[in-house]
Amino acid sequence: MAGVTDLQGGLRHSRVMDALTPTQRDRGLQRLRRLTFGATAGGLIAVVGVSYAAAASYAGKSSSSGTALSATTTTGTTTSSSSSATTSNSLQSATPAPTTGTTGSGTVTSGGS
Amino acid sequence: MTVALKSWKALGTSVHVITTHDDGFEPATTAVRQVLEDVDATYSRFRADSELTRVNASAGRTIQISPLLAMAIELALRGARLTDGAVDPTIGRAIRVAGYDDDFSRISLESPHVVPGGPGKEIRLRAERVPGWQAIRLERRSRTVWMPQGVELDLGSTGKALAADLAATAAMAAAGGGGVLVSLGGDIATAGEPPSGGWRILVAEDSRVRPDGDGDVICVPSGGVATSSTTVRRWSRAGAVLHHIIDPKTSLPTSGPFRTVTVVAATCTDANIASTGAIVRGEAALDWLTSCRLPARLVENDGTIHYIGPWPDPASVAA
Repeated sequence: MAGVTDLQGGLRHSRVMDALTPTQRDRGLQRLRRLTFGATAGGLIAVVGVSYAAAASYAGKSSSSGTALSATTTTGTTTSSSSSATTSNSLQSATPAPTTGTTGSGTVTSGGS
Repeated sequence: MTVALKSWKALGTSVHVITTHDDGFEPATTAVRQVLEDVDATYSRFRADSELTRVNASAGRTIQISPLLAMAIELALRGARLTDGAVDPTIGRAIRVAGYDDDFSRISLESPHVVPGGPGKEIRLRAERVPGWQAIRLERRSRTVWMPQGVELDLGSTGKALAADLAATAAMAAAGGGGVLVSLGGDIATAGEPPSGGWRILVAEDSRVRPDGDGDVICVPSGGVATSSTTVRRWSRAGAVLHHIIDPKTSLPTSGPFRTVTVVAATCTDANIASTGAIVRGEAALDWLTSCRLPARLVENDGTIHYIGPWPDPASVAA
């Protein structure tokens, strides 16, 4: 009996669908496509927005880590600039490498202070 | 090639400026003085009127900072990142509580800065937990910084090396030619054309050793040299001998196997990050410096010396 009931319900639903005109069906599909696009675009914007906000103030990092620090620094009356090497993501070695002072003394001392 | 040298005291340490052109010597010296005055006014931990002191007093609020302080904090955070937190600018409170709370020439070398211990009645040094560099939020675009309440920045390690780099760059621009070397308490930055054969640098454990003293002499064509050592800036609390290099994990002076580390790098700042990071890392420093491919000289507590990477072989002198 349950199967008969389901069949009857199906028939009633089928009749309602059949009552739609092709124009109404097209409008419904267009509305569905707009809703789908809107939801996808909204989600994408939200993800990008949150990511940007997180990256802009990441704890322990500056908002521009990874970019070269070649900007001029002005403080007081002094204007100085720092090497872009100081902002790279690894410690930079000097080139060429140091050599041994085979004769004579140093000109200056490097030591703890 | 003529080499002119001038020395004085600033930032609580010795300053040496060397130029290869006599004509550019005075302008270079003036430029270095100006940079050091700006650095002192901006991020001295011991000046009540410095910008860093105001920032430390403003923890918990977002405040705008000068370009120089932004750069100094950015480099300090970079140093922390590249050393996995071994060089951490948030040790300010820990080092102050340990007793280094004023210009070193003015701090007492012995005081009872202790708290009672547990049931055993042992006396322990008071240690402050280091909050960690990740707690700092620096916005470079708006030049603002925020840090949690209780955090105090100490830019002493990378800050002094940055000052040397900035001073050398400014001196070179003022000199108008030749080459310039600036040493701030043994942290050395160079710019321009070096003397023939390179800048001759005596590597010692204490920067106060005369450059004609005994030790390894290296010739550096460019870049920077930094030495970190636990044998200097020492004081005593509760019978324990302390020094100025703090291990962020323990909030106490380091107790690793190396007492002095010297590194040569492209800049004084990078050399300092590596040398200080190596002292804090302890036994792991040998592998770490090797992976960094930086020339380095490490002195163990018993005096044994290790040479890492392309450090010039001292045996070649005797050969």
